[in-house]
Amino acid sequence: MTLQTSVASAEPYVPGRARSEIVRKLLLYGLFLLIAAIFFVPFLYTIITAFKTIPDSINVTFVPHPWTTSAWHTLWKNYDFPTYIKNSVFLAAVIVTCNLFLSALGGYAFARLRFPGRELLFLLVLGTLMVPDQLRLIPIFLMIVHWGLYGSFWGYIMINLVSAVNLFFMRQYFLTIPRDFEEAAKLDGAGYFKTFWRVMLPLALPAMAALTILQFQGTWNDFFWPLILFGQGNPSHYTVQLGLAELHFDYTSLWPEISAGAIIAILPVLAIFLAFQRFFVSGVVSAGVKG
Amino acid sequence: MATTTATEAAPRRFRASLASARLREAGWGYGFALVPIAIFGLFFIYPFGYALYISFFHWGILGKTSQGAGTFNYSQVIHDPVFRTALENIGEYTVVIVPLEMALGLLLALAVNQKVRGRNFFRSAFYFPSIASSVAIVTIILYIFSQNGLFNHALGFSTDWFGNASTVLWGIVGMNAWTTSGTVMLFYLAALQSIPDDVYEAAALDDTGAWRTFWKITFPLLRPAHFFCLVVFSIGALKLFDQSFLIGGPSGGPNYATMTPILYVYNQLVSNAAFGVAAAAGIVYTVILFGLTVVERLTVGRQEAA
Repeated sequence: MTLQTSVASAEPYVPGRARSEIVRKLLLYGLFLLIAAIFFVPFLYTIITAFKTIPDSINVTFVPHPWTTSAWHTLWKNYDFPTYIKNSVFLAAVIVTCNLFLSALGGYAFARLRFPGRELLFLLVLGTLMVPDQLRLIPIFLMIVHWGLYGSFWGYIMINLVSAVNLFFMRQYFLTIPRDFEEAAKLDGAGYFKTFWRVMLPLALPAMAALTILQFQGTWNDFFWPLILFGQGNPSHYTVQLGLAELHFDYTSLWPEISAGAIIAILPVLAIFLAFQRFFVSGVVSAGVKG
Repeated sequence: MATTTATEAAPRRFRASLASARLREAGWGYGFALVPIAIFGLFFIYPFGYALYISFFHWGILGKTSQGAGTFNYSQVIHDPVFRTALENIGEYTVVIVPLEMALGLLLALAVNQKVRGRNFFRSAFYFPSIASSVAIVTIILYIFSQNGLFNHALGFSTDWFGNASTVLWGIVGMNAWTTSGTVMLFYLAALQSIPDDVYEAAALDDTGAWRTFWKITFPLLRPAHFFCLVVFSIGALKLFDQSFLIGGPSGGPNYATMTPILYVYNQLVSNAAFGVAAAAGIVYTVILFGLTVVERLTVGRQEAA
């Protein structure tokens, strides 16, 4: 459809095509490009600045003069960005894996297995969505300190092993899978865990893909809890976000370095976004609408 | 005779095996849900009570002192002008940003819902800032809006937007509206696409103009989405922390212009190690938000249900 109309609009006399329609399209494209510029220019400008020298970075120009990769060298040598990246990847990998497994397991239990008190426990799960961070901050901080986990990754990992949003998301997905699959597995003599592991999990792959992407984004971008639980003056444990924040607080005008750090902070999420846009959009909408 | 015993025995055996199957299923159910439930209990439900407990004690650097504090921590919070400033800031911020990002998000959704080529590209482009981390966004925006930065240069201003107590909160409003409107767009887009075409066909038959069609048909039909976005994005706005902290530091500078309630709790913890006051502040803010939610449900929610 769209292809046909655009081919048609190149010809001067097309029966049934109003001139106003073409004008409308042009205006719409103009508007789109303008908005897209507002959304892109800041990022584009950041990329350019990451290749400028420090004195050059306060000149409002769109071409670095001279080109340099010194900002990147600084991040690698004077700041330990390789470690920050490693830390962020480690946390994201552990937390995504745990969330995948535990929310699928829990989601399956709440979707399919009958046990006394199920509805009440499910309300409890949903209730956690209403406990706000300002209330959890102090108790969780004290708990982590008491357990001797302050300043290490483990406290942060513990509180993020599974989230109610993810569990709910998996439960909703399992509810859409017809029961026939499980009954067939049961007839074959498969136990509960085997049915879950070999039959249901493979069927839930699309949901798990969406969960992986959104949880990766959440953990990679997280600033609040890392700052509170292990980020204070502890550079060996910095994530990329904490390292970038440190750079920003200590040297407000190291724009090329800050720009390069911002690119590192965005790039992995952007790559995943571009590769799996479909999951992204459907995941955000369904997690939001149902959650 | 033999047949009757067989038919009597079968249901009994069947019932017994059914009961044990039920039991087994329940056992597996608990087993599967055990770890998630334990984690939710430990890190969500228990902290709720623990926060209350903390708020009724005096705390020193070394931990809880033995004497109870009564309502001391609460009166500290309620009489602290900084806490009041935090509430005023977050109130102003939320009241301005929520309608702003909803309007922008709706406009974007209407735009990318048009049947034009490349609309998928534009959808992704508009959503893009939503996926970037708060720290990255703040550093980029601070650079562009710095006194000699791109924005001032292009438009001929010389204001230090994020260094000035009178403009910094509005700077955060603009920045967050820019990043969040893409997410709002996704929700409105989903809602727009669920409106059946025949509604518009009927309007077209009546020769209703685009402007009238929007206000008389589309906008009212989007009511569930309006309500949903209002609730979800108010909750998000009221949690403001990252941007305030990164721009104004732990004390919400300049001159408390970026102080927010969550930042207040954080600052009491980090700068003063005042656990009791911090916990009390968290509880006071939660109670205020709960009250607001009830009011919202009773007013907007009732309209929505009608």
